[in-house]
Amino acid sequence: MFHWLEERPFFFAVGVFLTIAFAGLIEILPSFVEASRPTVGTKPYSTLELAGRNVYIADSCNACHSQLIRPFKNETDRYGMYSLSGEYAYDRPFLWGSKRTGPDLHRVGNYRTTDWHENHMWDPISVVPGSIMPAYKHMFSKSADLETAYAEAVTVNKVFNAPYNTAITMRDGSSVTVKLPATYDEAKADMLTEAKIIANSMKNQDVKDAVEKGEIPQIVALIAYLNILK
Amino acid sequence: MKNIVIVTILISLALLGIIFSYVGNIIGDDMVNILSMLAAIIILVITVGVGLKYVNQMKNDKASGQLADENWDGIGEFKNELPIGWAVSFLTTIVWAIWYWFSGYPLWAYSQIGEYNEEVKTYNKKFEEKHANISDDELNNMGQSVFLVNCAPCHGVSADGMDSKAANLTKRLDSISVKHVIMNGSNDGLVGEGIAMPDRNGLININTGNSISDAEISLVVDYITNGFVGSQGAEVFAGVCSACHGTDGTGIPMVAPNIKNFTVDLITAVLQYGKTGAIGKMPSFKTEDMRLTATQQKAVATYIIKLQEGSK
Repeated sequence: MFHWLEERPFFFAVGVFLTIAFAGLIEILPSFVEASRPTVGTKPYSTLELAGRNVYIADSCNACHSQLIRPFKNETDRYGMYSLSGEYAYDRPFLWGSKRTGPDLHRVGNYRTTDWHENHMWDPISVVPGSIMPAYKHMFSKSADLETAYAEAVTVNKVFNAPYNTAITMRDGSSVTVKLPATYDEAKADMLTEAKIIANSMKNQDVKDAVEKGEIPQIVALIAYLNILK
Repeated sequence: MKNIVIVTILISLALLGIIFSYVGNIIGDDMVNILSMLAAIIILVITVGVGLKYVNQMKNDKASGQLADENWDGIGEFKNELPIGWAVSFLTTIVWAIWYWFSGYPLWAYSQIGEYNEEVKTYNKKFEEKHANISDDELNNMGQSVFLVNCAPCHGVSADGMDSKAANLTKRLDSISVKHVIMNGSNDGLVGEGIAMPDRNGLININTGNSISDAEISLVVDYITNGFVGSQGAEVFAGVCSACHGTDGTGIPMVAPNIKNFTVDLITAVLQYGKTGAIGKMPSFKTEDMRLTATQQKAVATYIIKLQEGSK
């Protein structure tokens, strides 16, 4: 058999390719599948959080802030547990970032609160003396794009099978269901309920009024997103 | 054979001469340069010698042994025995591959997380050893640096709460907080108190027999925030608050916290569990979330207690 192959360079090359491809397949694929599976406690983003995530992307937060904590003691001391690949399972696209002009934000929800973000986005120097971060006052008046966020949630649900409306087991054993209603109107009502909770812990009267009127300012959506980064 | 030796020596000398004419003037008596030169000579001699040997062999050697049946476009193969060194190294690679597959790679492979775990273990051990008998001064210093990194973003570098963005820690309580607790009650059980504090409707003044009035609230708020001075406020405090918080406000264990001074137990509990108060929600700095260790929490408590004593 090998003699036959040795006399036919083409089929010999095919044989070499198949052997190496097979080895690669059993070496690479299992660990890749294992690593990209969502970690326990990772759930898809709610529509309001997605809207906030889109604000994060639109204002290029990822140009200065990373979302990836490396396994070094000096990083975990400052930012918390190092990041695992499965935690990005529902990030489309991921926002690892490549440069830290500001601090990492992957677990910012663990140590910053709604009112802190409000103060900080309005005037960063008022809470962090010497900060070079610009103020993002426009987020308090502009409304978040809720339609796009809903469309995105529906898309990832249908195309990538993101587990909306499914019970997801959290780290402490409880289970959480991220709702994705069938119509935009129901989704908007859900987003407003979520937004009201956040607006209640905020001080800006314009933001509170806007949420009362049924609009969601960008800052509310962004805070909803930052608060679940943990 | 003699010819090869002679030619080798001649070519080596010629090459050495060329090298020497280029670098001879910088050799000097530096040991390293002399050693390099020696190595260069040895490499040259071996290379030229081996090269010539093979050229010679190609010219004169005759193939010997029995040829195998198959040949490829006229190129044949001898049926010679495998050289022993070659066979041994081939078998060794097989043994090594088995070891590497079942033990070497799975058990001894480098892992970034493994290195991280080692680093943390070593550091924590060192930290524990170094601070096993930590003095109050050292705790205070450690507390200050932990405070600047973890607490200052909300409470401000000077711990004054930055214009009510967070609690002012230079005082035990400010009027917003005291009022908020009297109006709404409190049930956080932070220092192991078994009973909840009722809201204003459940706060009975034992002197009058009625629940606390608006006027009494403002009197007692002033009394508590001004450092327990004033006679009118003291009366209200004695009637409403002292039953649980003690006559001097320093609290009763398992019943109510000290509202005159900060205590280590209270601050470490707030750091560990977080707190929702009049201003907003403070996140927890749990040891389990890798935020602050027990020693660091104690250090922050020491720092804040010293801070409050300093501002009296």
